[in-house]
Amino acid sequence: MKNLGTPKDIFLESIRDCLGKNEGQPVIQRGNLSQSTWELQQLSEDLRLSLNKDIDGLTTKLSATAEARGWNVHHPVNMEGILDVISEITKKWGSTDITRTDQEVFYEYSIDSGLSNLGCKITTIARTDLQEDRIRLREDIISSGIGITGADYAVAETGSVVILPRKGLSRLVSVVPPVHIALVRKQDILRSLDDVFLLRRLDYHLGNDMGSYLNFITGPSRTADIEQTIVIGVHGPKEVHMLLLD
Amino acid sequence: MAEIKTKNFLASSQMAIKDPQLRQALEKVGTGFDGARREAIEEISEAKWEEWRLKAREIKEHTIENLDYYLDMLYTNVTKAGGHVHFARDDNEANAIVSKLVEANNIQIATKSKSMVSEELGLNGVLESLGVDVYETDLGEYIIQLAGETPSHLVAPALHKTKGQVASLFQDKLGIPYNEDIEAMAKTAREILRDKFLNADLGISGANFLVAETGSLVIITNEGNGRLCTSAPRIHIGITGMEKVIPSLEDLATFLRLLPRSATGQRLTSYVSIVTGPRRVTDEDGPEQFHLIIVDNGRSKMLADPKLREALYCIRCGACLNICPVYQKVGGHAYGWVYPGPIGSIVTPNLTVLQNAKDLPFASSLCGACREACPIKINIPRMLLNLREELVQPNSNANSTSKFSEDIAAKSYTKLMKHPGILKLGTMILTGLQKPFLKGGVISSVPIPPLSIWTRSRDLPKLPDKTFHQIWKDSLKDNQDNNG
Ligand code: SF4
Repeated sequence: MKNLGTPKDIFLESIRDCLGKNEGQPVIQRGNLSQSTWELQQLSEDLRLSLNKDIDGLTTKLSATAEARGWNVHHPVNMEGILDVISEITKKWGSTDITRTDQEVFYEYSIDSGLSNLGCKITTIARTDLQEDRIRLREDIISSGIGITGADYAVAETGSVVILPRKGLSRLVSVVPPVHIALVRKQDILRSLDDVFLLRRLDYHLGNDMGSYLNFITGPSRTADIEQTIVIGVHGPKEVHMLLLD
Repeated sequence: MAEIKTKNFLASSQMAIKDPQLRQALEKVGTGFDGARREAIEEISEAKWEEWRLKAREIKEHTIENLDYYLDMLYTNVTKAGGHVHFARDDNEANAIVSKLVEANNIQIATKSKSMVSEELGLNGVLESLGVDVYETDLGEYIIQLAGETPSHLVAPALHKTKGQVASLFQDKLGIPYNEDIEAMAKTAREILRDKFLNADLGISGANFLVAETGSLVIITNEGNGRLCTSAPRIHIGITGMEKVIPSLEDLATFLRLLPRSATGQRLTSYVSIVTGPRRVTDEDGPEQFHLIIVDNGRSKMLADPKLREALYCIRCGACLNICPVYQKVGGHAYGWVYPGPIGSIVTPNLTVLQNAKDLPFASSLCGACREACPIKINIPRMLLNLREELVQPNSNANSTSKFSEDIAAKSYTKLMKHPGILKLGTMILTGLQKPFLKGGVISSVPIPPLSIWTRSRDLPKLPDKTFHQIWKDSLKDNQDNNG
């Protein structure tokens, strides 16, 4: 597909006319764009060290901000604890149809057999390349009552779960079903938004793909469009749960 | 382009002030969103807030001064990620680009998440004339689409409607029993639109920010409709103004802190989605094509005028509307076009025709509350004065003119504060401030249009008469003319 509309060069030239300037780099470079990969790497290493020293503090902070943003935060201590939390949710919603992504966390905590024993039907996002499989999967997601995902990061500053797109991860699992459960490993908790962007920038400047869809989830879906009255659960999930795992 | 009714400001605002339903709907503007904004600032401290504002302003200043450079960087990186960037100088060209994409991809159903620029373009009408079923999916936008109106607020488009009005609208248009329970109405919208999301071929979104460094489009939403629009259909078109670009992801953090707090007092919205190109082959889902349309449509005018340039720093948070004594009285529709409130009074005359919008720069008491509230510290009152000056004495920069306007304004402001009665206030805003430009009695002689004329939003915009190819050729020619 070729580019439509005004050709780029003409569009940009007209902007330069408006600004009364010539083509070229900004006179002053903004610091963060002239950072070298090496610098970013140093910063990231420092960040990792400081985060690792403060996992408990970050966990406490995240629990507080997440709850304030509408997450239900749980601290299960073992596999049994995780299954208890999920089973409570299925009972509350009368829904045993679960879809989950295929993220690393599920290899550490394999919840499938436990959930099957509880009578749940679990669909896993299969790492497929077949179009028919994808269509079927989409239908499964649409009909499930609960979506379970991992988290690439969680942000203590904002109470957010951050998910990066990749194989085995459908964008829809965390937005289509009425309930979303996120499994967060404590070592993935970051302090602030700046931390997330530092790590993403480093990865990007190391030559890795930015990924098509970096997604921050901060509480349930909501609106205040009628009389500025808050209603929870419009197009996305009405209830969201965050499980913090050691 | 969406129909322009800026000429009707006086009559429209008089109607607005006398409309009891609108009064009721506007009642909460000052306490609701603005109250929440103040609380959010208190929570993090004034000093911190000020630090963020200064940083954001510095980023915007730098980016706009080097807009060509960052748009070029954006272009390179969107392309690298497999997306397409199209530049549109005006509404016709932008609509022609969308039309071309719709035809080439056999689009039947489109879902839209909120985009003020698409309102500017009158895009829904264009899509409908191409036979596309188009659904607004943000609850507020869905309401006004059903009502055939335009947004009356940057953040809450249906702010002018009471729940009772929405309930009657749903009863009327959707054939469901009247129920003014807000939760039930939201549920109705969810049920109806769910299907549309999943069957749409095309998702259209605006953009809150564009990140040059990574070629990303950022949308900030609460309902989840933005995520569905940009994930479920096979094609995603993002349409936005050229001023939305920021240099790096690191800069984004500052704006993510400022925008939700300024808009609704939220620390962060429920969702922030950062879209970089179409789905990759390894992704399980997401659109196969990603198109980004970058629109000028009159923004150049503000870019070229150093006095008005900072209007392009606006992040459309709505804080200046919520706090504005004029907006609080007349609501958004009186402003006559897409962008209401104090910032609208600057942007609208520049994106449309100043001479037809000459009341807007006067629709302010210059009390300065907007500048105080603005997260980017945009000097709205100064720009309003500049526009007034231009209207009084075109092509003159004489200081005396601006002094003159300022004096008038200062006097009116004192008067306003002494008489806070709603109707009186409204009348004074309309008569007091307008006086220098309206000979006695003009206001009352303006025929007041039936309510339907100014509450009904716009007629279907006409499709461009020219073919896409002609428009492109013409624009090339124009540009050569300009350069030559
Ligand atoms: S001018 Fe400032 S306060 Fe008004 S909408 Fe724009 S950013 Fe917000």
